[in-house]
Amino acid sequence: MISFENIHKSFGSRGVLQGVSLSVPTGAIRFIIGASGAGKSVLVKHLIGLIRPDQGRISLDGEDITHLTEKGFYTVRMKCAMVFQHSTLFDSMSLIDNVKLPLRKHKNLTSSEAENEAMYRLEQVQMAKDARRYPADIGDGLRKRVAIARALTLDPKYVVFDEPTTGLDPLAAVNVDQLIRELSDEFNVTSIVVSHDLRSIFTVADQIAMLYNGQVLLDGTPDDFRQSDDSVIRQFIEGRATGPMEFPKASRG
Amino acid sequence: MGLLLSRQHQRSALLRAFALLSQTFLWLGRGSLRRRRQQFIEQLFEMGNRSVLFITVTLGTLGMISVFQVLIQVDRILPEYSVVGPAFLLTMVREFAPTIAGLMIATRVGSGIAAEIGSMVVTEQVDALRMCNAEPVDYLVAPRFAACLIQTVLLTMYGGVVSVVAGGLVANLVWGIPYEVFFRVDNITYSDFLAGFLKCVAYGIAIPIAAAQAGLETEGGSEGVGTATTRAVVNASFCVVVLDFILSGFAFFFLFD
Repeated sequence: MISFENIHKSFGSRGVLQGVSLSVPTGAIRFIIGASGAGKSVLVKHLIGLIRPDQGRISLDGEDITHLTEKGFYTVRMKCAMVFQHSTLFDSMSLIDNVKLPLRKHKNLTSSEAENEAMYRLEQVQMAKDARRYPADIGDGLRKRVAIARALTLDPKYVVFDEPTTGLDPLAAVNVDQLIRELSDEFNVTSIVVSHDLRSIFTVADQIAMLYNGQVLLDGTPDDFRQSDDSVIRQFIEGRATGPMEFPKASRG
Repeated sequence: MGLLLSRQHQRSALLRAFALLSQTFLWLGRGSLRRRRQQFIEQLFEMGNRSVLFITVTLGTLGMISVFQVLIQVDRILPEYSVVGPAFLLTMVREFAPTIAGLMIATRVGSGIAAEIGSMVVTEQVDALRMCNAEPVDYLVAPRFAACLIQTVLLTMYGGVVSVVAGGLVANLVWGIPYEVFFRVDNITYSDFLAGFLKCVAYGIAIPIAAAQAGLETEGGSEGVGTATTRAVVNASFCVVVLDFILSGFAFFFLFD
């Protein structure tokens, strides 16, 4: 169980999060949606200590992790993996070395042990044949698959997906959605998915939280979301350029 | 606007720079270079070999122009050319070779470090490193720091030689001063070399730290990388000038007779 309580975060004079509270039950797939710059990525990065809140409390499995040190977050990051928006594979390493890195750092495996485990993870995402290639040699969709393999190497209990289907072709996007669903159904993995892909939202999400003006505008199921009368939510669902929705000026998060 | 920082911000930036420097030494002490030998060698090549032409042209040109201008003035006031070579050599060893080379390295190497690390920050690669329990200072800063320190010393020595040789050629070919008169080194002492060497080491420490700090503190997208690169060059050049002032004062009072 993950819970964010009254999280505030500002960058300079811009208050990105202004009292966000939400929880994610174990095994659930929680989508966090909102316009670009609404603070979705900023919120999820608090969970793994990549960003620290100005105010508020974050707990993981009942333990307060708000004020952990960088070293204290090592154990949190073993339990809680993240697939970044731009895949973020290390350009100077081959694909298999990218997948091996968390195994070697977190589990202190030898190079050959890490190699076997990494190859197994690459097979899971159908990338084993490209293991020796470099990130620059493959397309965005394939890079994303390798990033997912890297995130799953430590058998995390929680996975944060930051816009996992952005930039993917429709078929690859469906594969990613299926993978998120399988992780939840078969391995009881809890997923937090930052997205504005409506197709993914309505096919995969168990719960949805919509961020707007630094706060949670809606917290409910996909049906609650569909049936909402709120004019901002209607504008988001219908994808209208005009309406009451105010767009944040900066693009962070 | 971003570069016009308040006094309080400048103070905290200085403290953060010292914190980054101590962390870098800590990771070097823990064997960072042994683990990242390949990266260290690549950085040595990138910073050193690829700067050779730049240093050759800038320091060589500077040597030629300096000697030419000084000889014009000497010719007008005191047609006694024998003092020009030894005075030029002394000034190069003590002052110009380390400082001009330091400023050139701050421009070329400092901007490279900041752009590279800054791009990794905005594309979340630094966050991904932290997710893998890999410390960014260990992975990114320590190899660049060590490579920059070594190459600053080597490039400065090389640049100094190029500058002096270029100056000697101008003196001989344009003004007819014999090489044995121009290259007289009897008034250069070990203290002069020590003063120059201390400056090289100080710049070699300050430049990569100022640049890496600017890179690690990059915010926003590609615009942020541009700002970080500018900040790295400004801060590193500023460090070179301030350290030059401090170390020249130190050498004047404690090293020179």
